[in-house]
Amino acid sequence: MFLQDLASWAFLVPLLMVLSFVLVGFLGPYLKNWREGGWIAVVISGIAMVLGLLIAAGEMLSPGRYTDLHTTWISVPGNGTGVFPNGFSLVMGTLVDPISALMLIVVNVVGFLVLLYSIEYMQHDRGLSRYFAELSLFLAAMNGLILADNLLEFFLFWELVGVCSYFLIGFYYEKPAAASAAKEAFLVTRVGDVLFLLGIFVYFGAYATAGAAGGWAANGFLFVHGTNPYIPIGTGANPTLLTIGGLLILGGAAGKSAQFPLHVWLPDAMEGPTTVSALIHAATMVAAGVYLLAVASLFLGFTAADQFAIVAVGGFTTLFAATMAVVNPDIKRVIAYSTISQLGYMVLAVGAGFTMVGLYHLFTHAFFKALLFLAAGAVIHAVGTQNLFKMGGLRKVMPVTWLAFFVGALSLSGIPPFAGFWSKDDILSSLYGTLGAHPDYWPFFLMAVATVFLTAYYIFRAFFLAFGGDHPRDDSLPHGHDPSWIMKGPLMVLSGLAIFAGVFVFIPGFSNLLPGIGVPPTYTVTDILLSAMSVGLAGLGIGTAYVLWGNGRVFTLPDDSPLQSIRTVLLRRYYIKDAYDAFGQRVIYGIARIADFTDRFVIDGAIHGAERSFAGLNRRMRGIQSGVVLDYTAYVVAGLVVVLVVLLVIAPWLLSMWGGT
Amino acid sequence: MTIPILSLSLITLLVGTVACFAAGRWARYVALGTAVAFLVEIGWMISQFTWAGFGPTGVPSYSYGETYAWIHLYWLNINYSVGVDGLSLPLLLLTGILLLVTVVYSWEEKKRPSAWFALVLMTCLGCAGVFMALDVLLFFLFWELVLIPMFFMIAYWGGLRRRYAALKFFVYTHVGSIVMLVSLLVVAFYSHAPSFDFSAMYGPARALALVPQVFLFLAMLFGFGIKFPIVPFHTWLPDAHVEAPTGGSVLLAGLLLKLGAYGLIRWGLELLPQGLLHTQPIIFAVAFASIIWGAFVALGQRDLKRMVAYSSINHMGIVLLAIGLYSSLGITAAVLLMFAHGIVSALLFMVAGSTHHAFGTRDLATIRGITPKTPALATVTMVGALASLGLPALISFPAEFLALLATWDGIGYWVFVPLIMLVVTAGFYLWMMQRMLFGPTSGIPEDAHDLSQWEAAAMAMLVALTILYGVLPGLLTNVIIHSPLFGLP
Repeated sequence: MFLQDLASWAFLVPLLMVLSFVLVGFLGPYLKNWREGGWIAVVISGIAMVLGLLIAAGEMLSPGRYTDLHTTWISVPGNGTGVFPNGFSLVMGTLVDPISALMLIVVNVVGFLVLLYSIEYMQHDRGLSRYFAELSLFLAAMNGLILADNLLEFFLFWELVGVCSYFLIGFYYEKPAAASAAKEAFLVTRVGDVLFLLGIFVYFGAYATAGAAGGWAANGFLFVHGTNPYIPIGTGANPTLLTIGGLLILGGAAGKSAQFPLHVWLPDAMEGPTTVSALIHAATMVAAGVYLLAVASLFLGFTAADQFAIVAVGGFTTLFAATMAVVNPDIKRVIAYSTISQLGYMVLAVGAGFTMVGLYHLFTHAFFKALLFLAAGAVIHAVGTQNLFKMGGLRKVMPVTWLAFFVGALSLSGIPPFAGFWSKDDILSSLYGTLGAHPDYWPFFLMAVATVFLTAYYIFRAFFLAFGGDHPRDDSLPHGHDPSWIMKGPLMVLSGLAIFAGVFVFIPGFSNLLPGIGVPPTYTVTDILLSAMSVGLAGLGIGTAYVLWGNGRVFTLPDDSPLQSIRTVLLRRYYIKDAYDAFGQRVIYGIARIADFTDRFVIDGAIHGAERSFAGLNRRMRGIQSGVVLDYTAYVVAGLVVVLVVLLVIAPWLLSMWGGT
Repeated sequence: MTIPILSLSLITLLVGTVACFAAGRWARYVALGTAVAFLVEIGWMISQFTWAGFGPTGVPSYSYGETYAWIHLYWLNINYSVGVDGLSLPLLLLTGILLLVTVVYSWEEKKRPSAWFALVLMTCLGCAGVFMALDVLLFFLFWELVLIPMFFMIAYWGGLRRRYAALKFFVYTHVGSIVMLVSLLVVAFYSHAPSFDFSAMYGPARALALVPQVFLFLAMLFGFGIKFPIVPFHTWLPDAHVEAPTGGSVLLAGLLLKLGAYGLIRWGLELLPQGLLHTQPIIFAVAFASIIWGAFVALGQRDLKRMVAYSSINHMGIVLLAIGLYSSLGITAAVLLMFAHGIVSALLFMVAGSTHHAFGTRDLATIRGITPKTPALATVTMVGALASLGLPALISFPAEFLALLATWDGIGYWVFVPLIMLVVTAGFYLWMMQRMLFGPTSGIPEDAHDLSQWEAAAMAMLVALTILYGVLPGLLTNVIIHSPLFGLP
């Protein structure tokens, strides 16, 4: 059938966006009337979105199917030793399976909507063609990443989305803060990338010679290695190597998905345009870490030790990031911390073995978080500040934006029937179900539960501060107004998705993209109690936010309150970024300065000392530097002749004495 | 009949060199024509390339091989003997590419252009000869031939301390040359090879006892290593680069450093495999030292050109590491890395040269936010830096990936050393970009101009190649693997 056959053409999705990158990048500056090529990017990404949706529809119609097409990229023969005795081949290809089809929907729908929104949002900025070209390149790389059919290809596109993120965080490159944030994001994720790369090696090594899976090496380490795609290779590999590999992959995922302790870059990444934050730093790229963990858990398998580590990182990050969102005065940073926290939920779910549940939350989160960012973008666009304490009373002047943000906030808080409720509830109830077998998951379960309260509180704090009350707290702000349809359209579509995306899984075909989720809804009493508890906690959070911040109220901690010191710690982000900065500047750069000094004065100095110790050499050296070109030639030729004669006559003679001819 | 394509390409360069000296103000056209002709010849070689395999006695034979008796006196048998395999062809291609871009980049050279272009061609003639020569003395002849034009390029066209730098370069590399030559001759004599021909030395040299192999290999490691350069014999490199003219730097980093690595594989690894295998700890220690030292010292630099020079030490350390692994993966990675580093360092030295040209300084603490003023230079700088730090889809990525994979294959978790250094490498390039390209503009003259058309053309070629081979590294690896080295051990 037509729809199913489209999976073979999946490579067109990233290629279309490469085309968009090339067209916008080269022609954009000459197309002033078309937003410097912005419309080209919108149209092409629209085509890519339709193609992506059709491919996904094909997958819905054929449950559990996968289509893998690939070609050899590098092939090196082996020489019978080492970890890879038979050599090494690497392939590049596309794998269309249920989860990559799901990601195709997320990436291309949000991508298209964000590009469309940008047409108006970015209209007053300089360098539009650069912006749209970079976003196109990002979408190309992101589509490549989700369609990758082996770990190396995955890594390749992983780095490319990282560099696009670097470019786009630094879009306002004349602002020192943006330039610095871009560098920070690249460097911190680079730490994760190094771990990821080593993890790839360890996995390759674990499987290269492993009995039954030995064929894995021969076919280029493709993810799919049997008839059923989602069976981990596992068998025959060294369990120690598997554990180490899993931990390293977790390191990579933590870098990209901003999990503790590599989370510091994401809040600073808010220096980029808000559209970029919505697409890259909320909906898609930062979710790539979760997607990596999902792919690894499905195709490669984690050991129990890996699983505990992943649960611990995810669970801790969930609460840790939410606490920092509670005090932040910047509307974008509040949402950024929320992203870290929500990614923690997903990591937690994947770690506990509920890969599909984690991806389910990834799916719903992409829509409501993109919605929150784009609504915040509309606010920032209208009032020109990101400081929540200057805003206020925007409900009256920006009703559509108000409604969009409200929907996003309810979805994030996990209020039924909004999308976020279904997936978050699924995570909590799944995790609860494992507590009997894994009592060591208890602390992380409790952290996840506590976060429900904090999440509802911080997002409604932001909501009330921005939209509540009658008037802005800072009178000098321009009076807000709703944006035009180009921005409102995406807001409305995303609002719809933020409401309904959660129940998509109850549609029979759609549930094929998330095997095991949705059907049949067998809720036990425990599940219902758990749901009631989490909804209750969320309601409590919203209520607290209303009491403290509702109707234009501003809650100020008394100066002598013991909570002040906690607030300071939270505002300073637990001093972790300060510590990293100090480490970079003092330790690493200190080593570099010392190394430079040593190189100039010790190593080179020693050579010069040796040179001087040859009596008179120094003087002669000065003598040679007559500056006459002929002299130099003479020296060079003379040296050559002497060397040749000495070596051809004397050395053989000496050797004949030594070796005996 | 078969065309003696190797001699033909060397003659092309030789004729071009002589013609340039004589051509006066037309020299640049002669140089350009020679470069294109040479590239066409190399392209023809690669397109027709099939590796000849091993001869009946287990001695490797080489493609397009030519052997003529040259000096036969008493016991002395010196041949003119040339041939290529998958190891040398990519490096010959690199020679042709860098020759072309150097000629284009220095198209508007004002200072004695005929001599300049002749010396550029002569340098490439020497390098091409080194990559083809299969006789010790012929090899040494070409090897020394490279030194002379480079010496004059630094000493005449260089910066303020050019005399000092030129002499330092010459003394250092000459010491290396002598040690190298002595050890090669000792190999030939001590193993009673019938001649200095590579194929004649191949069997006897490999049959040498362990102790002489180890000592001879160590001597070669020192001799070839100075060219790499390896820590702690590297201090000639930053000085030479800082004082050298841009074209000289391009050839120095792009080609001259590869001579050492190529020599170590061809004459060290192939002739004395036992020597290599038993000195591996020393090789790895030196390689790690170069990798770590190069990266950290680069981070501490204020001069853009010095920074790039130290990053070369870091990258060539990875090449040495890959060679020391003695595996087919390692050799492939080493050759690919050499090619990649040749292209990328050429690009970065052009960036440094154009930066100096445009702003009158290369001080990273002074130049800020050049992007609005010189967008083309900024773009190329970014591509070069990203390529050098190993971004996928650019040429260094497959090379570094293979090198790291080979390291994992050979020595396991030691791979963490070069891996961690990737963060430092990324660090100094990103910091450089943050300061030089981004932020508010300051520290550059009002009348600063962007790239000239010739500079832009040369850099655009390198950028295109960076992307081409980054996306399709198979174009190179499929050549590299056709080499006797893949009959290891």
